[in-house]
Amino acid sequence: MVRIHASFTELSARERAENLLDTGSARELLGPFSHLKSPHLLKQGIVPQNDDGMIVMKGRFEGRDTVVIAMEGKFQGGGIGEISGAKFAAALQEVLNDNQAGHPVFPVIIMDTGGVRLQEANYGLLAIAEIQDLLVSIREYVPVIGLIPGKVGCFGGMSMTCSLFSYIIMTKEGRLTLNGPEVIEQEAGIEEWDSSDKAFTYRTIGGEHRVAQGLADVLTEDSREAVHQAVKNCMEKGIPVHRSTMVEEYRAKIDKAAPGNAVSKKAVPANAASENTRSENVAPGSEKNSAGLRGRVWFEALTEDAITGNLGSIGSVLCRDIILGNRTCRVLAVTADPHTIFPRTRKGEVGLQQGWELARLIRQAVEEDNDSPEKRALIAVVDVPSQAYGYLEEYHGIFLSCAASVNAYAMARHAGHPVITVIVGNAISGAFLAHGLQGSHMIALDDETITVHAMSKKSAARITKRSIEDMDKAADSVAAIAYDIHSFNCLGAVNTLLKFPDHDHPSEDDVRVMKEKIAEGIRESEANGNTLDYRLKTPNAPKYRALSIQVRRQMAEAWREK
Amino acid sequence: MECLTFTYPAEKEVSKSSHVGVVGSGNLEVLMEPSVSGQAEAEVTTSLDGNREIWNCVLERFFQENPVAVHLEINDFGATPGVVRLRLLQALELAEEVE
Repeated sequence: MVRIHASFTELSARERAENLLDTGSARELLGPFSHLKSPHLLKQGIVPQNDDGMIVMKGRFEGRDTVVIAMEGKFQGGGIGEISGAKFAAALQEVLNDNQAGHPVFPVIIMDTGGVRLQEANYGLLAIAEIQDLLVSIREYVPVIGLIPGKVGCFGGMSMTCSLFSYIIMTKEGRLTLNGPEVIEQEAGIEEWDSSDKAFTYRTIGGEHRVAQGLADVLTEDSREAVHQAVKNCMEKGIPVHRSTMVEEYRAKIDKAAPGNAVSKKAVPANAASENTRSENVAPGSEKNSAGLRGRVWFEALTEDAITGNLGSIGSVLCRDIILGNRTCRVLAVTADPHTIFPRTRKGEVGLQQGWELARLIRQAVEEDNDSPEKRALIAVVDVPSQAYGYLEEYHGIFLSCAASVNAYAMARHAGHPVITVIVGNAISGAFLAHGLQGSHMIALDDETITVHAMSKKSAARITKRSIEDMDKAADSVAAIAYDIHSFNCLGAVNTLLKFPDHDHPSEDDVRVMKEKIAEGIRESEANGNTLDYRLKTPNAPKYRALSIQVRRQMAEAWREK
Repeated sequence: MECLTFTYPAEKEVSKSSHVGVVGSGNLEVLMEPSVSGQAEAEVTTSLDGNREIWNCVLERFFQENPVAVHLEINDFGATPGVVRLRLLQALELAEEVE
C-alpha cells in the first residue's frame, strides 16, 4: 500500500528500492548477509558496510520484471568503489543478458552518489566506464529510468552515467552536476562558485532548474505516490531519442552559451567583467609547458602521413585519419587551445564543446563505415588534465557533453570499431571517462610524470577530509588510489606499457614502435569483440580486481535463484 | 578505527538473521545472525578509538536483558550508546519476528 504524501527522499536506499517495487515482489541480491565489505576502506582505517552502499533488488513494477539499483547516500556519500561498482555493473550485465534473450527486464536506478569513491578512486573510474558501456547497450531494448530523489544528489562520473539514461526524474531536492560546488571552489576559486551559497547552488543544479532547462525529464514532488507514478509514466513512454545522441542540437546550444552570449552568473555585470579579465590574464603562448602539449606532439607524430587534414572544428579537438598497415584509423586528441571561447578549457580540459565535438567525429566515422565490412579503428590519444571546472560548464551540462562522447565511443565499439586508448600524458577523472576509458585496448607510456586519477590531490584531500600526507600513505597499500601509471597498470586495464628515451620528443623509431603496438591492439581488440571484458582477463586482473570478478560471479548466481 | 570482540553467555535462540542501520554519521550497521557457538558474540568495528569499556557496558547490559545466542557484526560510525541500544533492540525485534 502506498501512503499518500509520505516522503520518498527520507527513505534509505533499501527502503526506496523496496517501496518502488510491487508489494511482496522484492528480492535483494547480494544483500548485507553476503558480507561484501570493502577491504580497501578497512586498509585505510574507514569503517565499511556489508552491502558496500549499493542495493540491488529484483522484483516487479506494475507487473513488469524490474530491477532497482539504489545507492545509499548516507554511506560514504554513495560513492562508487570496487564492490559497489561491480554490483551495479554485474546487475546491468544480467539485465542485458535477459533482454538479449528476449525477456524484458526494466532497470530503475536510484542515484544518490557523489560519483567515484575517492578512497577507491581508479576502481570507481573503471567500474563507471563498465556501467556506462552496459547502459548504452541496454537502452536499445528497454528504457533506462533514473531517479534523483535528493540528499546527496548525483555528481561526478555518475552524473555522466545519469545522462545516458532514457529518463531522469528529479525532486526539487535532487541535484545533478559533474563537479560539485566545493570542487569548483577548490579548483577554480571562490569567485567562480561560492560553495557556501546554497540557494545559488540549488538554483543552478537543483531538480527544478535541470528539468526546466531540459537536462532532466520529470520534476516530481517528494511523495512515494508521485515518484511511483513518474516511474510508471516513463516506463510506458518507451524508448525515447536519447539526449546523448542529439549532437547537432546540443552543439548549437553550446555555441550560443559561450561567454559573451552566456547567461550572466548572478545578473550582476561585474561578474561577467571579472570573467573576461581572467581570460586575458593568461596570454596565448604562455601555455607552453602546460598539459595537452604532450598529447599534441604524439598526435602530430602519429598523423604525419595522414590521409585527411584536421577534421576537428574547434582548436582543442584534433582529428585526422591515417592508414596503419592496411587499416584506416581515426586519431583523436583533446589538447590545449589558448584561443578557445570557453576559458575554462584553455589548458586542454574536456568541457562543453570537447565532449560534443568528440561525439560528432566518432559518429561521423561510424556513419561513413556503416556499409563497409571493415570498420575504422578509433585511436584516442590521451593527455587530459581534467574536465573543465567552471560555472558555465556546470550550468549548461558538461556531464551531458562528456556522456555524449562516452556514448559515441561505446556505440562505435558495439558497431565493430576497435577503440585503442593511447595514454601519453595525464588521464584524469571525467575527462578520462569521456576520452579514453571506453577503449577496448589500452597502451600507456611508462612515464613517472603521468597521473591517472579521479580527482586532483588537493580536491580529494578536501572532500575526504584528509591531509595529502595521509592520502599518500594510504596509496602505499591501495594501488587504486595512487596517482602513478604503474599503480594504474596494476588494475588490469592497460595492455601495454611502453618506455622511450624522451616521451616529449618521440623519434621516428618510437613512433614506428607505437604504431606497431596500436596495430597489435586493433587485432587483439577485434579478437575480443571490441568489448571492455578484456580488463578482467589481463594478467593483473585476478589479483587486483579479484572482487570485481567475484561479485560478477555471485551476482550471476543470485540472479538466477528463485 | 578499532576492531573489538566480545562474548557473553546466552540461553535462547533467535529464529532468523536481521539487519538494521547504515554506516553513516552518528549511526551504525548491525547484523544479527544465529551464533554457531551457542554464546552471544559481538564483533565491533568502530571509527572512534578507545571506547572498549563503553561498548562492553552497552553490550553486556543488552545480553543480560536478552540472552540470545547470536553473532553480532557491528559497523559503527560514531553512534552514541543510546543509538547503539536502539539499533540492537530493532535488530532483535526483527530476528525474533515469526513469519
